[in-house]
Amino acid sequence: MATFRPTRRSVLAGMTASLAAPAVLRAQAAFAQGGPIKLGSLTPLTGVGGNYGPFMRDAIAGVIGAVNEAGGVLGREIVLVSEDTQTSPEAAVRAARKLIDVDGVAAIMGTWASSVTTAVAPLCWENQTMLFCVSGADSITLLPHRGFIARTQPNSKLQNDVATAFMVDQGATHLGWIGPQTPFAQGNIDNMTRIAGENGMEMDSLIYEADKSTYRSEVDTIMRAGPDFILLGGYTADTTVLLRDLWQAGYEGKLIGPAYAVNQTVLDALPADVLEGIFTWEPAPAIGSPAYANVQKILGVETVDPYSAQCYDHANLAILSIAAGGEATGATIRDSLRTISQGEGTVVSSAVEGLPIIADGVNYDGASGPCDFNEIGDITGTQFLFKRIEDGAAVEFART
Amino acid sequence: MLDLLPQLIVNGIVMGTLLAIPAIGFTAIFAVLRFPNFAVASHATIGAFAGYAANVGLGLPVEVSLVAAFLVAAVVGVLSDEIALRPLRPHGALTTAIASIALTIVLENAVRFIFGNDLRGYDLPLVRDWRIWGVRIGPQQVENLLLALALMSAVFLALRYTRIGKSMRAVADNPALAELKGIDPIMIGRLTVFFGMGLVGAGGMLLGVGTSIDPLTGFRFILPIFAAAVVGGLGSIPGAVLGAMVVGLGEELSLIVLSPSYRSAVGFLAIVIVLTFRPRGLLGERAY
Repeated sequence: MATFRPTRRSVLAGMTASLAAPAVLRAQAAFAQGGPIKLGSLTPLTGVGGNYGPFMRDAIAGVIGAVNEAGGVLGREIVLVSEDTQTSPEAAVRAARKLIDVDGVAAIMGTWASSVTTAVAPLCWENQTMLFCVSGADSITLLPHRGFIARTQPNSKLQNDVATAFMVDQGATHLGWIGPQTPFAQGNIDNMTRIAGENGMEMDSLIYEADKSTYRSEVDTIMRAGPDFILLGGYTADTTVLLRDLWQAGYEGKLIGPAYAVNQTVLDALPADVLEGIFTWEPAPAIGSPAYANVQKILGVETVDPYSAQCYDHANLAILSIAAGGEATGATIRDSLRTISQGEGTVVSSAVEGLPIIADGVNYDGASGPCDFNEIGDITGTQFLFKRIEDGAAVEFART
Repeated sequence: MLDLLPQLIVNGIVMGTLLAIPAIGFTAIFAVLRFPNFAVASHATIGAFAGYAANVGLGLPVEVSLVAAFLVAAVVGVLSDEIALRPLRPHGALTTAIASIALTIVLENAVRFIFGNDLRGYDLPLVRDWRIWGVRIGPQQVENLLLALALMSAVFLALRYTRIGKSMRAVADNPALAELKGIDPIMIGRLTVFFGMGLVGAGGMLLGVGTSIDPLTGFRFILPIFAAAVVGGLGSIPGAVLGAMVVGLGEELSLIVLSPSYRSAVGFLAIVIVLTFRPRGLLGERAY
């Protein structure tokens, strides 16, 4: 019978193996779990959307934190990787490449400006990464995205339809549109021209160059046409300049602008006289919903902006889709999205609520609304909120 | 559209006059130091924010705030030039110009770090424009115009009659000869950057007073400023004024025939047309 005689070499090898064993076991456990699941947030932390992006990111982080506290998804922790679009397509593309190539995220959430989403989208569908956006340009979901885009923001046509109908209801006789060159500019003008024609009204429009310090000549040009109700089609920076120029020029008609452009920043930057009576409209979050209350709690605010509400929904939709599909990939999220967001399942308002019963079927109702998607990734319905600026503050005017 | 012509001319003259101030600063620095300093973009922003801090933070009137805008941009200009650009100047104009682009990004982000991204407006009474024979002009525009004209006059008088101004002109004309005559080109370079960036800062504030400012304020003007200096003839102070008028009027009058979304193309077009027929610019005397 052979006897084992320990040598110096075998003792050293044994000690090394003993020391290494816990690390090996840990590595095996991590392998069994597949490591953490990475999700990406790509919001405008700086640039013209910079006043929304941090809240949007925090809403996503809040959802992920809550799910991790409840045990994660598929037995795995979720890690949020956050990048800044700078509200610039070029910067956003660089950030998206990093999220996809380096971090390997299953989904990118929270792209805001339409130009940014349009630039990032091909990267996502080519790499089978799910893209959730809050952008409104009609063209976005018409891209050949093979199901890898879902947006919680009503498309531009729906938004524009609602605003133009409001202008008609408020007694407009001659509609106007003025705004910068954007992916939705011409579409909005065509849409308003059609509605104006249907109502026997005139319609004039002017597309200007963004990032100018003054629009005096543009204002002279649009005022020369004589509209009595103008829709502002720009973002915060150019809208601020434009409103000042319109007021100084003595424009006496009515104005309406999207709430993302005529926002608190504009209210802070301009005197109340300039802003008095301007209408704003926005897709309204579902303010009475349990999901909305969850976002209020996460952000610690009384009023949640529509984009943060939508980003809360993005995170919940992505996580529930991963759970339903059993895999943390963009393709799984795409394939499972409509399974968990619409149908006959139990209505849930968060992933934490839905994960334990995912096998029985869930129907996610979010902070931004029902979150039901059509075949090209557009939501099929939402509410709108109109406000009127009075004494320097936006006051609720109507809901549709 | 022709009925808008008088209004567009007035708008163009106002814009051209305001553009002339930073364009003078840009071209003066080019004349003496022989490189295009694209950091004027961030210095215009710094001037606008320094003026804002004086006007809103300290409650000072626009005229006094303009001095603050001049001084802060001038001091930052000299310090950043000493640290980032002067060591690179022996390596050539192109290297220094590229470094000035990097510098402007750093300074712009420093402003963003201190003030944030929000739009800010000066504390000024907002009043409706005056209408004179159907042409409208704002009281603030008139004040800005007068301030810009006063600054321009001061520059011309200083260059013509002061010892420093004469030294700057001498270095601009022939640095070697100026040095032989006892003029220190390094010190003159510093003074040029001080006054040049000061003008850029004051110009940035004047351009921002009528609207709102944010960290990209100066960046928005870099193309028209550059176009004004090139069209007028790089290195020529009167040329910068003339170039600014060409660009300012050109941008406004282009609305008669072009969509407003192409306004910036006018600056490029002016550069191409002028340089095609007169490579040294309208009033440039020296080909660089």
